[in-house]
Amino acid sequence: MRIAADRILGVALIGLAALAAFNASQFEVLFSYEPVGPKAFPILLSAILAGLSLVLVFRPGENGQWPEKHVALRLLAVLAVLLVYAMLFTRLGFVITTFATVLLLARLFEASWQKALIAGALMSVGSYYLFTLGLGISLPTGLWLPSFN
Amino acid sequence: MFDFLIQGFDVALTPMNLGLAFMGALLGTLFGALPGIGPINGIAILMPLAYTLGLPAESALILLAGVYTGAEYGGRMSSILLNVPGDAGAVMTTLDGYPLAKKGLAGPALGLSAISSFVGATIAIIGLTLFAPLLAKVAVLFGPAEFFGLMVFAFASMSVMMGNDPVKTGIGAVLGVLVAMVGVDSGTGVMRYTMDMPELYDGIDFVVMIIGLFAISEILLMLEHAHNKNADDEMPPVGRVMVHLKEVMFSKWAMIRSGIIGFIVGVLPGTGASVAGAVSYTTEKRLSDKDNTFGTGDMRGLAAPEAGNNAAAVGSFVPMLTLGIPGSGTTAVLLGALMLYNITPGPMMFTERPEVAGGLIASLYIGNIVLLMLNLPLAGLFAKVLTIPRWALVPGIAILAFVGVYQLHSDLMAIYLMLVIGVVGYVLRKLGFSLAPIILGYVLGGLMEDNLRRALSISGGDTSILWQSGISIGLWIAAGMLLVAPFIMSKLLPGKSLTHT
Repeated sequence: MRIAADRILGVALIGLAALAAFNASQFEVLFSYEPVGPKAFPILLSAILAGLSLVLVFRPGENGQWPEKHVALRLLAVLAVLLVYAMLFTRLGFVITTFATVLLLARLFEASWQKALIAGALMSVGSYYLFTLGLGISLPTGLWLPSFN
Repeated sequence: MFDFLIQGFDVALTPMNLGLAFMGALLGTLFGALPGIGPINGIAILMPLAYTLGLPAESALILLAGVYTGAEYGGRMSSILLNVPGDAGAVMTTLDGYPLAKKGLAGPALGLSAISSFVGATIAIIGLTLFAPLLAKVAVLFGPAEFFGLMVFAFASMSVMMGNDPVKTGIGAVLGVLVAMVGVDSGTGVMRYTMDMPELYDGIDFVVMIIGLFAISEILLMLEHAHNKNADDEMPPVGRVMVHLKEVMFSKWAMIRSGIIGFIVGVLPGTGASVAGAVSYTTEKRLSDKDNTFGTGDMRGLAAPEAGNNAAAVGSFVPMLTLGIPGSGTTAVLLGALMLYNITPGPMMFTERPEVAGGLIASLYIGNIVLLMLNLPLAGLFAKVLTIPRWALVPGIAILAFVGVYQLHSDLMAIYLMLVIGVVGYVLRKLGFSLAPIILGYVLGGLMEDNLRRALSISGGDTSILWQSGISIGLWIAAGMLLVAPFIMSKLLPGKSLTHT
């Protein structure tokens, strides 16, 4: 694990720059009133990006502190919770999904079940009424709460 | 010549705008006090709300500017009480603020820093009032070529001043500009980097970008911090927030000097509160640290960075309002907010939209007084915010992020995009990137390309137009000098870095 993270990043960014430049070279303009067109600037950027990334590959900085395994697992869990929140947001409605999300996030941040449940209940219902009634934002409704939109 | 200010006070003194300035100051102080939620996060969360509430541009700007300046006030709380800077601008505040709190002087330290913030901000607001209209007059002479040169200069000064790794700052800025390329090219109608997804035809939405990059990555970082607790979490008692006149007088020169330094640093495009805090602290240390008391709880060492970072926050409005070039990451976000309203800040704003420019400046005067009144007596109350546990804070941020992005277009795609950007932001932050250059690149990228293409259209493709006028030549030389300076400096002064922030 002694390959500097910066080196990997540098190589990845050079790849990205190449991809961006190649992609830009495919931009087809049917007719143009100006001399530059849509290709030049992205290609210029890709060149700068590749140049800077090359510096990173040859002169990587210090390796940052990366999370230990159990923290990394929790990070993935937080991301999974947020992803499921997004997937069910409109289907199940704001209140139920928010309740579950707050509950799980609070648990992942080491709240007790009791505190997490209270936080979930207060924050989901409270924010629903704050956003819909107070601020006039329409949120996906669940089946069991009256809508105020 | 101060017509715009009179008109501005007319705008800022309407009950609604007064209320918004107050709200912004209050919320900003809270956002600044909460570790992890700095001014950019606060603005990112509130911006979509301001937009949906149908606030007119000047009112939205008054609210968001209040949040910005308020957050610079609030950032000092956790610096002083917990030794954890509440935002990037308050890093230097920990150096003398925390030792003061350890000595049992938390109350006076909070009071003195509030006054320093007020003095610094006041100096800078006066500077803004005087210089912005003048600069706007000069800026009228700017054509596309000059604007392009100015943006090159802004990126150069940002690379050198911001963060401690110029290469990563540069990469961040270029990545930001590339993100701005996504969508339909306005000049030709060509799709660029849309990956055939209709959701990307309009480009990556500004709110999605900001909330993903800052709020979502922050949630992930907070989880990590929760696991390495090495800072002692015990908060010293605040006690009565009382400052003796003697203490204020003792540090008055530190405040005034740092206010001026902070303003100048803020005006420079690309450098904001964190650089200003560092520069004003080191200057003050050099000038007045006769008995080596700096770092052990010297009142002047607390006053200097606080006056400096608040002055810089205000100063960074100068290039944003007059040139349309943000002076800091946060003003880049504000610039983006204005663009949502189809207002492009620039030299014409003082003549064409004086209610926006003047209203903002007038509201800064008002907000600054509100902030002093809030922060002196209520510092103890705000300090309570620091005891909000992460398990309650993080879900709150998540809800605000989701609602903020969802209500833009009632579109789930935007939420997924926000999550992806959040993960990228997290990885970049772990790799030592700061996010401000990315945002600056993202905000300026479109403008930069537009100006380049416009300039070359005028000249029929001849690139020499880019360095024809005196202004552009000056800007190119200044940019070049900025980029070369650190190398020369490191040759001359081995082992000494100027850019530690």
